[in-house]
Amino acid sequence: MNELRIALQSLKMSVKTRMQYRADSLVAALAVFIRESANIIVIYLALLKFDSINGWNVNEMLFLFSLLFLTYALVVSLFADLRDFSRMIREGRFDWLLVRPRGLLFQLILNNADIIASVGHGTLGILLFLISAGKVGIRWDFATILYYVGAIVGGVLLQGGMFIFFSSLSFYFVETNSLREIFYWNMRKFAGYPISIYHKLIQGLIIYVVPFAFVNYFPAQYLLRKPDMAGFNEAYIYIAPFVGGIVYLAAYLFWRISVKRYYSTGN
Amino acid sequence: MEFAIKKFQDKMTYRLDFFMGIVNTAITILVYLCIYKALYGNAGEVDGISYSMVATHFVITLGLSNAFHYNEMFLQDKIRDGSITNEFLKPVSFTLRLFAENAGEGAFKIIFHFLPALLITLLYTKLCPPVSILGLPVMFCSVALGYLILWLISFIIQTWSFWLFSVWGIITIKNVFVSILSGSLLPLWFMPEPLQKILSFTPFESIYFTPVRIYLGELSGRELLFALAVQVLWIALLGVIASVFWKKGVKKLVVQGG
Repeated sequence: MNELRIALQSLKMSVKTRMQYRADSLVAALAVFIRESANIIVIYLALLKFDSINGWNVNEMLFLFSLLFLTYALVVSLFADLRDFSRMIREGRFDWLLVRPRGLLFQLILNNADIIASVGHGTLGILLFLISAGKVGIRWDFATILYYVGAIVGGVLLQGGMFIFFSSLSFYFVETNSLREIFYWNMRKFAGYPISIYHKLIQGLIIYVVPFAFVNYFPAQYLLRKPDMAGFNEAYIYIAPFVGGIVYLAAYLFWRISVKRYYSTGN
Repeated sequence: MEFAIKKFQDKMTYRLDFFMGIVNTAITILVYLCIYKALYGNAGEVDGISYSMVATHFVITLGLSNAFHYNEMFLQDKIRDGSITNEFLKPVSFTLRLFAENAGEGAFKIIFHFLPALLITLLYTKLCPPVSILGLPVMFCSVALGYLILWLISFIIQTWSFWLFSVWGIITIKNVFVSILSGSLLPLWFMPEPLQKILSFTPFESIYFTPVRIYLGELSGRELLFALAVQVLWIALLGVIASVFWKKGVKKLVVQGG
């Protein structure tokens, strides 16, 4: 319970820090919201002209995108420090955590929440969900709701796990940003669209290497059952909510091994 | 010019970034071509625009928009830490220097990120060839004009940092507008009619769309001259606005400095 109290306290601090510059923070959150909407507006305009993209209509596309934004909003409120980890190490701020009497990951997760990004992405995600969820033919009963919540939790863990993994790499290499730029941010951009439209090579990357497909494509397929699922193994849509947990666990183990390295070089 | 060359050499020193830049550009091109292909489905042409025209449009626009991307927080940082005053002591115009540096960076990106990525792209897709050898120099002129328009818009907003605490939000919003309305994400051919009409009265159309249309041979004779004239007109107009903001801003700074 003590842990929970620290967690809440820490979240309050993050919000308070941002509220120091209230107007500035609001503009920034709005800017994030608008920046992220750009892709949505473009796909919307494109589908006015072209009707569908590989069988997916506007609402289905918006639903697909909404999963990406909702999960990311939660990810940045939990894993913001791990996102900016290489900078943290370079500035020596990581060393502070080493002397505190709590687990490292626990501290990293709670230390900082990127409230601005969280509000920007979250608002957009909720908005897209509200617009699309009623129009894509999903019957919202107990099973689908349970699956949906599971998929969101899985998606958060999956992306958090990826942040932990990339952070762990910082113990081995000085500069990991360009690697992450290519593998994380690019893949995230591509995951917004039905992955069936891509070249096999990119599909492989999104399913097995940087498994964004389990954040939105496969969960959406469970609920929507589009015909382009035929190109993939049917089992993927059932395991989708669990992939996140597995990735997170693997990333955690890798982190444990890597952190030991830091102790030894640090001294 | 010296500054442009200096910036150019600066950029050369980061080899890894350089390599990653190429990979990144190539992946982005590949993915967006997949998206356009899926949108086209089995249709050969949509509104008289073929898939290869769209692909060509996308590749050129991406190359240009990458090149046109630079650190837009520069002026704000200089104002915040006060080092802008040092700039005024130097015997070169600050604005000209800023422009030269940005342009140098742009040239670097075109040559070292875009051209290699373009070669990779050509391995797996067919793009439209330029409509004529003569068209190319005209297109390059138009590209330069387009760059100036974009740079001026950015500069105007950057000068607002004389008055505002942070221009990051406004710059981000501006970039969204530019990327959508200039057609760098979805070609303007496919925008709804009314929106297209409105856009023809804004500078956005002149940034990427005019050069690309020249390349594809969509503009010729009188239309071509008109499009170029529109570009020049926008530069003149934006140039005046920019210099007004700049002069006011500098004056405010001096007053504050006491």
